[in-house]
Amino acid sequence: MKPAIIHDKNRVSLKPERKTDFRLWIFFGLATVTLCAVFISNLSLGATSIPIHDVTGALFGPDTDNYNQIIVHYQRLPRTLIAIYVGAVMASGGVILQTLTRNPLASTSTLGTNAGASLFVVGGAFLFDFGVEAQGLAALAGAFFGFFCCLSVARMAGRSNDPRGLSLILSGVLVSMLFVAITNAFLLSNPMKRSEFLGWVTGNINHAYIDRLSDFWWIGLLSLLTLFLTARPLTLLLLGTEKAQSAGVNVKGITRIALAATLLGSGSAVAICGPVGFIGLIVPHMVRPFVGNNVLSLLAASVLVGAVVCLIADMGARLFFQPYILHTGLFMDLIGGVVFAFIVKRVYLARAAL
Amino acid sequence: MRYLPTPGRSLDGRKVLRFENGTEIRTQNLSTALLLTLCICLLAAVSVHLGQTRISIQELLEALSGSVLDEEQDYALWTIRIPRLLMAFMVGWSIAIAGAVMQSLARNPLADPGLFGLNQGATTMILLLIVLVPAASKLMIMSSALIGGLLVATLLIWLVGGGARTHGLAILLMGIALETVLSSITSLLILYTPQEVSYALADWLAGSLFNATAENVLTFLPFFVFSFAGILLIGPCLSRYELGNDAAMALGLSIRLTRPLILGFAVLLSTAAVTSVGPLTFLGILAPHIAAFLTPLKGRARLFISGLVGGLLVISADVLTRSLESDIPVPIGLSLTLIGVPLFILALRLQAINRQTQH
Repeated sequence: MKPAIIHDKNRVSLKPERKTDFRLWIFFGLATVTLCAVFISNLSLGATSIPIHDVTGALFGPDTDNYNQIIVHYQRLPRTLIAIYVGAVMASGGVILQTLTRNPLASTSTLGTNAGASLFVVGGAFLFDFGVEAQGLAALAGAFFGFFCCLSVARMAGRSNDPRGLSLILSGVLVSMLFVAITNAFLLSNPMKRSEFLGWVTGNINHAYIDRLSDFWWIGLLSLLTLFLTARPLTLLLLGTEKAQSAGVNVKGITRIALAATLLGSGSAVAICGPVGFIGLIVPHMVRPFVGNNVLSLLAASVLVGAVVCLIADMGARLFFQPYILHTGLFMDLIGGVVFAFIVKRVYLARAAL
Repeated sequence: MRYLPTPGRSLDGRKVLRFENGTEIRTQNLSTALLLTLCICLLAAVSVHLGQTRISIQELLEALSGSVLDEEQDYALWTIRIPRLLMAFMVGWSIAIAGAVMQSLARNPLADPGLFGLNQGATTMILLLIVLVPAASKLMIMSSALIGGLLVATLLIWLVGGGARTHGLAILLMGIALETVLSSITSLLILYTPQEVSYALADWLAGSLFNATAENVLTFLPFFVFSFAGILLIGPCLSRYELGNDAAMALGLSIRLTRPLILGFAVLLSTAAVTSVGPLTFLGILAPHIAAFLTPLKGRARLFISGLVGGLLVISADVLTRSLESDIPVPIGLSLTLIGVPLFILALRLQAINRQTQH
C-alpha cells in the first residue's frame, strides 16, 4: 500500500486511504479503455467509415492493395499518433506548470511558451529558410524564450517579488499577444510561405506533419520520463517550499529540471503541429477531482486524458464540419477559451465577491 | 466682450479661463491641447509629404488655398493621402475616447475596447455577415458591428457580475477569454473563405488604413461629430463614476439610466472605428494614460485630450509604417500592438510602483 497524498480543500495529508486508491484504479482502468476505444474509432471514422477489420489489418501488417487500409496507414494513423503525442505532452506540461506556479490558469498556452515557440519557428523559416530540424531547435529555444519573457514581465509588473497569481497569467497573455503579432507580421510579409504556415500557426493536427513527429518524438518521451521521475518531490513542493526542503527536496534543482522538461516537451509539440492551445489548461482540471493532487497520479491521468481529449477534438474537427476539415487547434481554442472564462469566474471572481 | 472667457483661479488655485455660464477650462489643459494640435499638424504635413509622388510643403499650402496641382499630385493628395490622414486621426480619436470612457466606467485603468473583446465581437459579427450575406450594405455592416460589440459588453457584464468589488485583473482576464473564443471563431471563418478574400480579411483584421477613401471618411464623419456631443454630455458624469457607483448615486446620478447609455456610447465609437480600419488593440489604454501623464485631467478635458493623443498616436504609427521602406508592410494594428504591449507593461509597472508607495 503506497501512501497517497490527499488534498482536500483545506487539508493536505500523507495518510494512505484505501478507498481513494480503489477509485484511482477504476479511473485509470476507465481512462485506458476510453483511450483505446477513441483510438480505434479515430482510425475508423471519417469522411469514409472504415470497418474495424480493415483498421486492425492496417495496424498489424498493412495490405498495400486495399484502399481502406492505405487510408488508415498513410492518413489516419499519422494524424492519430500526432494527436496522442500532443495531447499527452501538453497536458503533462499543464500539470507541472500549475503545480509549480500554484495557479489554476497556468499552462503552456497561457504562459507564452507556445507563442514563443511558434514565433521562433515562423521567424526561422521566413528569415533564414530553416529546414525541419532547424525549425525544431528553434521551437525549443522559442519555448524557453517565451516562458522567460513571461516571467520577467510578471516580475516587473507584479505587486510583489513573488510573480504568481493573476499578474503572471496577464503577462503571459501579453507576451503571447506580442509574439503572435510579430508572427503575423512575418506571415503577411510573404504570401507564398503564408499559405504553408497559415494552418500550422493555428495548431493543425495533420498527417502531413508525420515527418516532424518521427524527428522529434524522443524529446517528448524524454520530457515525460523526467517529469515522472520528479513527480514525488513535486508533490512535496505542494506542501510549501519550506516543508518540502525539510523533507529533503532540493527545491531549486527540482523546479529547474521539471520546468526544462516541460518547456522542451511543449516546444517539440509546437514544432510538430503548431500551438494547439488549452489542452494543458483544461486536462489537469478534468482529472483533479478524480485523482487528487498527487503529482504522480495527476501526471499519469493527464497523459491518458490529454491524449483522449486531443483525439476527440481531432475527431470533432474532422466530423462536425464536413466537408471541411477544421484545424484542431482552432477547435481547442474555442473550447479552451470557454473553460478559461469558467475558471476565471469560479476561482477569481467568486473569491473577490466574498 | 461678454462671451469671451475671463482668466481667473479655480478653487484649487490653478489658472483657469472662466466662461460666462460658469464653465472653466484649465490653462494648462488648454496649452496641452494646443501643443498636441500643433504636433498633429506637423505630423500631418509630414504624412502628406511622404510617398512616391513628391509634394512639397509649399505646394501643399497652395493646394489647400485652392490652386490646382498637376494631375498626379492631385490624385495622390486628395484621393489617397488626405482621406488616409483624416481617417487615421478620427479612428484614433474615437478609440481613445472609448477607452477613456470605459476606464472611468469600470474604474479599471486597464480597460480597453480591444482587450475586453468588444472589437473582436464586432469583427466576428462583420465576418459572419460577410460570409452569410456577401452583398451586405455599409449600413448593415455598421449595425451588425454595433450589435456584436454590445452583445460582448452585455455578456462581459453578466459574466463578471456585481462589478464594484471584483478584481480588476480578473475582469481583464475574462475579457481576454471572450476575445480568445471570438478570435478562434474569426479565424475559423477566415479559413473557409477563398484565398484572395482571406488575405484581404487578414489584412483588415490586422488593422489597415489602405482602404481609407473619401467615401469611408464621409461614413465615419457622423460618428466623429457625434463624439463631440457625447463628450460634452458625458464628461462631467464620468468624474463622478470614478468615485464609485455609490458615491456617484449620492451625487445625484441615475446609474440605471446613464450607465448603459455611456457604455453604448463607448461601444458605438469603438465599433465604428473597427468597421473602418479593423481592430486596433491597446490604443484605448495608451492614449488616456499618456494624456494623464502630460497634464492632470478630469471630466471633459480628459476625453478631449485623450482623443487628441489617440489621433496623434495613430497618425504617427501610420507615418512610421510608411516611412519604413522595407519588404515587410507592417499593418497599423500590428505596429500599434508592437508599440502597445511594451508601453502597457510599463503602465502596469508604474501602477505597481504607485501601489507600493501608497502602502
